[in-house]
Amino acid sequence: MIPASAVRRFTFAFGAAFALFYVVARLRGLALFTVYPAQSIVLLGMHRSRDFADPVLDFLAPEMYWYGWTASAAVCALVIGLIAGLLPDRLNWFWAWCVWIIPPMAMAACIYLTIPWFRL
Amino acid sequence: MATTLLILHGLVAVALIGAITHQALATCAPPNAKPNSFFGRFRAIPAAGFANAIVLLYLTSWLLGAVVYLYFKVDIQPTLERDRHWHAMGFLDLKEDFVVIGLGVLPAYWFCWRGTDNSQHHHLRAALTILLAFIVWWSFIVGHVMNDIRGFGS
Repeated sequence: MIPASAVRRFTFAFGAAFALFYVVARLRGLALFTVYPAQSIVLLGMHRSRDFADPVLDFLAPEMYWYGWTASAAVCALVIGLIAGLLPDRLNWFWAWCVWIIPPMAMAACIYLTIPWFRL
Repeated sequence: MATTLLILHGLVAVALIGAITHQALATCAPPNAKPNSFFGRFRAIPAAGFANAIVLLYLTSWLLGAVVYLYFKVDIQPTLERDRHWHAMGFLDLKEDFVVIGLGVLPAYWFCWRGTDNSQHHHLRAALTILLAFIVWWSFIVGHVMNDIRGFGS
């Protein structure tokens, strides 16, 4: 039986780390895999259609990174969550503070990253 | 297939928005509302009982949305780009970002609502519930606009 305090630390750290690493993955293009829905292909890592084909043919093989960013963030958050679960109880306040503060800040960062769409 | 999934996605989202709105208001609204008023009855629900359903609905909605997104990328996005719906694309980008951040917060949200000790994590529980409610409302509105974009504002 896992103690409730360890589950608490895990869930709080997971939520905070997930938001943080999602923004980092989005900012740095750290996708665990790339999905090409038109071809039903999944490639490990981040790939751009224009690296393989002429940029004007980009629309024939649109790539999707969102799934890869999510997977990257989930893996990193899982590691942080497991580490947090092993740490002592006295750090509970820190993880609660993190899960309170970091997700809204990550959302604000995502708004900033989306600004280019609104300048077109 | 895509249409069926999109309708299912919409139906799950309707259930989710109802549940999360009930819970958010029950958590945050002042308890001194008149008991027989609409608002009083609206907030007088056992909010903790909604948590498991909200987690399940959020996950189902996310999964359906993730599948529908594949069809969107191939069949719809090129048309939107051709028609220069850049703002709509930006709002959809924000929707996918917010939804994923909400997905990460879901375990913490579930933990805050589990158990019988309602005094613990009260502020954090309220904050996470409001955050999820905002994400669900944002996603619902953006998804609805995207679904109707060929007629919306044209």
